[in-house]
Amino acid sequence: MTVPATLQIILYFGVLLLITKPLGAYMARVFAGERTLLHIPLGWLERGTYRLLGVDPKEDMKWTTYSVAMLMFSLATLLFTYGALRMQGFLPLNPQGLDASQMTPDLAFNTAVSFTTNTNWQSYSPELTVSYFSNMVALAVHNWASAAVGIAIALAVIRGFARKNANGIGNFWADVVRATLYLLLPMCLVGAILFLAMGVPQNFDPYTIVTTLEGGKQTIALGPVASQEVIKQLGTNGGGFFNVNSAHPFENPSALSNFLTLVMIWSIPAAITHTFGKMVGNTKQGWAIFGAMAVLALAGIIVCTAAEQAGTPHLASAHIETATTALQPGGNMEGKEIRFGIASSTLFASVTTGASCGAVNSMHDSYTPLGGLVPLFNMLTGEVVFGGVGAGLYGMLMFAVLAVFIAGLMVGRTPEYIGKKIEKFEVQMAMLATLVLAASVLGFTALSSTIDLPKEGALAALNTWPGSAYGGSDSVYGAATSNLNNSGPHGFSQIFYTYASATGNNGSAFAGITANTPWYNTTIGLGMLIGRFLMIVPLLALAGALARKGQVATSSGTFPTDTATFAALLIGVVLIVGALTYFPGLALGPIVEHFQMHALTTH
Amino acid sequence: MIDLLFIGTSIGFFLLAVAYTHGCQKLRGGSND
Repeated sequence: MTVPATLQIILYFGVLLLITKPLGAYMARVFAGERTLLHIPLGWLERGTYRLLGVDPKEDMKWTTYSVAMLMFSLATLLFTYGALRMQGFLPLNPQGLDASQMTPDLAFNTAVSFTTNTNWQSYSPELTVSYFSNMVALAVHNWASAAVGIAIALAVIRGFARKNANGIGNFWADVVRATLYLLLPMCLVGAILFLAMGVPQNFDPYTIVTTLEGGKQTIALGPVASQEVIKQLGTNGGGFFNVNSAHPFENPSALSNFLTLVMIWSIPAAITHTFGKMVGNTKQGWAIFGAMAVLALAGIIVCTAAEQAGTPHLASAHIETATTALQPGGNMEGKEIRFGIASSTLFASVTTGASCGAVNSMHDSYTPLGGLVPLFNMLTGEVVFGGVGAGLYGMLMFAVLAVFIAGLMVGRTPEYIGKKIEKFEVQMAMLATLVLAASVLGFTALSSTIDLPKEGALAALNTWPGSAYGGSDSVYGAATSNLNNSGPHGFSQIFYTYASATGNNGSAFAGITANTPWYNTTIGLGMLIGRFLMIVPLLALAGALARKGQVATSSGTFPTDTATFAALLIGVVLIVGALTYFPGLALGPIVEHFQMHALTTH
Repeated sequence: MIDLLFIGTSIGFFLLAVAYTHGCQKLRGGSND
């Protein structure tokens, strides 16, 4: 690793550490319903929203009520988005005249699900497919709502641990409103102004056509980018305003905006560990979780950066300089922005997949096998370093339950976590949440790796890219593997990454796969729904069961969970569960590709 | 028609998720928590 790369990582973690305590403490106050300074300008809006919705914020919901409220809210917003996308041709703020011909039913389903589930997988090129109205109303609203829902679920799970003999786990509507008004709104306002100051556009102008230096014509896409960019990162959404996402100079104009973006992505997920500590009455519990996340994050960043900086034997055998010099970055620069180089790209890749963000500033498909394995593994282990807003913490608490269960098995005692006995039902729910994710990732990957769809007849439409909607011709693929740019292990990695990203609600693409066909849009859509909601429900059940329990007094036999030993155990469980579940898949993809690369047999 | 298929799929999934919620509740022994 180069010196600037090391310094950037140190600076990044330093800033995260500085943010975690004050922001985490602030969040604990907001979600406890305490007054803060922001209640002066925004309190009336909170009260007005409750009155408008007919919500009593003091009503304590049972976990089942909380779960059904979350599901119905998500369904209503999903259907709204589906309708708005399909009808964009009749709606305002559409200077490019984009309509339903680009936004086909399967793509609208995929996109509506994608933004509802905080995934923001995009099977389409935004500048060629969605209007400004669609971007701002149908999609950006979800960037707020899905982030607020994630935070709400994390709070509900925390309350499960924090409460004693309680029936309820909080009020879903109050949690969503408070997350939106007192957390996301002020942070986005400041962030959007910073992005504007750095040169990110914010307008409703038609796309500009310019003459290039070579005399050619180039269309420059514009739009209300800054306002969407900030919530895209802060809410760990990741859906780009432009197709190349944060590699586009209008989304990410400089090294400074790149750093700000990275801080935004992990700020709330890191801070909520401290909120957890505050709410359970022992901030060391939060720091143990933070520590485990930080170690896993650091390991991934170092492996990814080292692999990319080392380059490939193919480059070396072609007599291409792979060492870093004053004039060139060396290593593997394929798919990376020259403005950012290797270190800022690999840090971004690790951060965006450690969180459920999915924004990218480089193309992960072009990474070396081991460099690409890191983002993939981050997603497969449930995106718990530091994870999505809210989702990272509740994912890590799921692992914490499994960790104390395993520790309990080793020493022959009933496991406890934060003073709560972890019994049969809690472990069942934690395992259900884990297994649902694995079933979706592995099931859909296996299906798309083998299914041979017809190339002719009515069913050929199942795997056809609608090129005619963009002025070209349709492409009929047949077998789902025909959509890939690469065959062999790398092609398998493209499919594996796709469903890992969908189920993990990440949304980043390995690229190299044409996903805008009914087959991929539908299966990816289902993967996103399963990964979000069929994981959240058992975790809410876990929270409900824990909230009803009393607190067990700490004794000499209690396994302390606020120590470095517990953090190490937690890291071990995350790695072991991830490795045991997904090693065969990783072996078929990036691992075998790594050995092929060194044998110079990859193409 | 195809729109209805995708809208129906979405509604169907969420109804399934509500049933899944009740399934998780039942697994605990039907207690009203």
